[in-house]
Amino acid sequence: MRLIWKLLRKHISITELAIFFVANLIGMVVILSGIQLYSDVKPMLTGEKRLIGNDYMILTHPVERFGTNVKHFSDTEIEELGNQPFVKNIGTFQSSQYEVMGSIVFNGSRLSTMMFFEAVPDIFIDVESDAWHFENGDKNIPIIIPRNYLNLYNFGFSQTQSLPQITEDMIKRVELGIELRGNGKRDMYKGYIVGFSDRLNTILVPMTFMEWANNHYAAENNTDATRLIIEVANPADPEVQEYLSKQGYVAEDKPSESGKALFLLKVCVVVIVFIGLIFSILSIIIFMLSIYLLLQKNIDKLNNLMLIGYSLGSVTAPYNIITIALNVAIYVVSIVAVVIIQSIYTRYLSDIAGYELSASPLTSALSGLCIILAIILFNLFIIRRKVKHISRKQ
Amino acid sequence: MNEIRLNNVVPEIFAERENLRSDIWHHDIVFERGKRYLIEAESGTGKSSLCSYLYGKRGDYRGQILFDNNDIKRLSMAEWTTLRQNSISILFQELRLFGELTSWENIEIKNRLTNARTRAQIESWFEELGIADKIDSRIDKMSYGQQQRVALIRALCQPFDFLFLDEPISHLDDRNGDIMRDIILREAAQSGAAIIVTSIGKHPHIDYDKHFKL
Repeated sequence: MRLIWKLLRKHISITELAIFFVANLIGMVVILSGIQLYSDVKPMLTGEKRLIGNDYMILTHPVERFGTNVKHFSDTEIEELGNQPFVKNIGTFQSSQYEVMGSIVFNGSRLSTMMFFEAVPDIFIDVESDAWHFENGDKNIPIIIPRNYLNLYNFGFSQTQSLPQITEDMIKRVELGIELRGNGKRDMYKGYIVGFSDRLNTILVPMTFMEWANNHYAAENNTDATRLIIEVANPADPEVQEYLSKQGYVAEDKPSESGKALFLLKVCVVVIVFIGLIFSILSIIIFMLSIYLLLQKNIDKLNNLMLIGYSLGSVTAPYNIITIALNVAIYVVSIVAVVIIQSIYTRYLSDIAGYELSASPLTSALSGLCIILAIILFNLFIIRRKVKHISRKQ
Repeated sequence: MNEIRLNNVVPEIFAERENLRSDIWHHDIVFERGKRYLIEAESGTGKSSLCSYLYGKRGDYRGQILFDNNDIKRLSMAEWTTLRQNSISILFQELRLFGELTSWENIEIKNRLTNARTRAQIESWFEELGIADKIDSRIDKMSYGQQQRVALIRALCQPFDFLFLDEPISHLDDRNGDIMRDIILREAAQSGAAIIVTSIGKHPHIDYDKHFKL
């Protein structure tokens, strides 16, 4: 083997191998980072702990003409919808069947307005607050308003009226006077805003309060639902859209943000992986040309070795060893690089997500292994074929 | 391996030639183990081609060449490797030594593969052939005649049934030619191998069993 090496290592170009090493390394790092990023970010968009929690849809019947007879969802409709495979959860909006008057003391004067409440089951609410509960006899009502309202005031109204902007914390400290009227009763309560919802575009109170208040203040108890909220795996799913249009339901929410984000992520990853692939493919071409040239320069020696009884396997061994050693080195270095890159972006993503992401390079390690094995096998095959070819030709 | 058979063999380039006068081309010939053959050729009669066919380097001929009834065109690379290690040994006309290695390394690269000879045996041949002082010289620093002797030693470093000697003494004086002949006869007799010598002029003085004009 020592003598074979001595003979066949001649003409090996360190420069060419170095170019291959660097280029393929870059390609591998780009490909593997892309794959790793995809596998790390995907659960944030689709999994339990998703970052963009907008896989909820609010459904109504369309408003067809001016009038008061709004179409309700019947119990069978709700049941059928709930049985659809894409529906994970279903809930109805309960609206207040009584008059609500809200008031606030502002600059010494009292401003009051008519308003309404709605309630949905707690699992659909995207605000976490200890104050979000109501028990019979409480005089305080926790309220959640859409974050939009605050934005509308801060960035629209207050600007034009030269009024001060208000923060969420300030609003939470404001005490609202709530007067409930109906069924011959009239009572005063205190309302507190406990949070802001990005998902539900209405003024929410706890379901327990809503049920109690409807019993207490409504002349006749009408619990027919006019709006439904459903949780779906993927709102962009064509099956969902098809079912809704078949039933003639209108989805109040635009197609989910996470569906769009997932699509965008896929596009980005495809682009990244594609760039990496170009690097890798070019580097493999450089490598193959380099090996071809090397074999061509050593063609006489290869021939002579085989004519004195060396096997194809033993004369290709030095080139195979170079190939395997280079590629294994590329694999190891690229995995180290991916781990470093992953630790960097995981820090950013954890900040955005608000929880610690676990960083395991398993996906890239496995896909890298597959890629490197494929490259090695391909190279070994090419080397063998080339040597066989030149040994037969002469 | 016991016999090499040529059945109506002719190189593709001679196939259409009508006035081809040869003892080999277009004949059925058998080379048997233990015998000695001389193939004399003039330039352009296809000596190199015949050697290339028998070494498995080329296949551009019509007819059939059989090693113990196996058509050599059907041999795999692995089978050729086994044959070249154990059954046929060749002293190439163009020697096919490795110029950047020493003469000892050139022998070693073959002997490592077959483990056929001891270092002492090899050194005694160097001695006998008068090139003992060249054992650690690089091949490309040696004369062609000296290289020819190294090539013979390499050819002997394996078991063989057929020993091909392609113009073995073209660059040797008569004295060295005779020394080489003695070694060849001794080693062939020991393993009962056939000797096939080709020549365009000088050839070792051996009592040949058969004489062909190519």
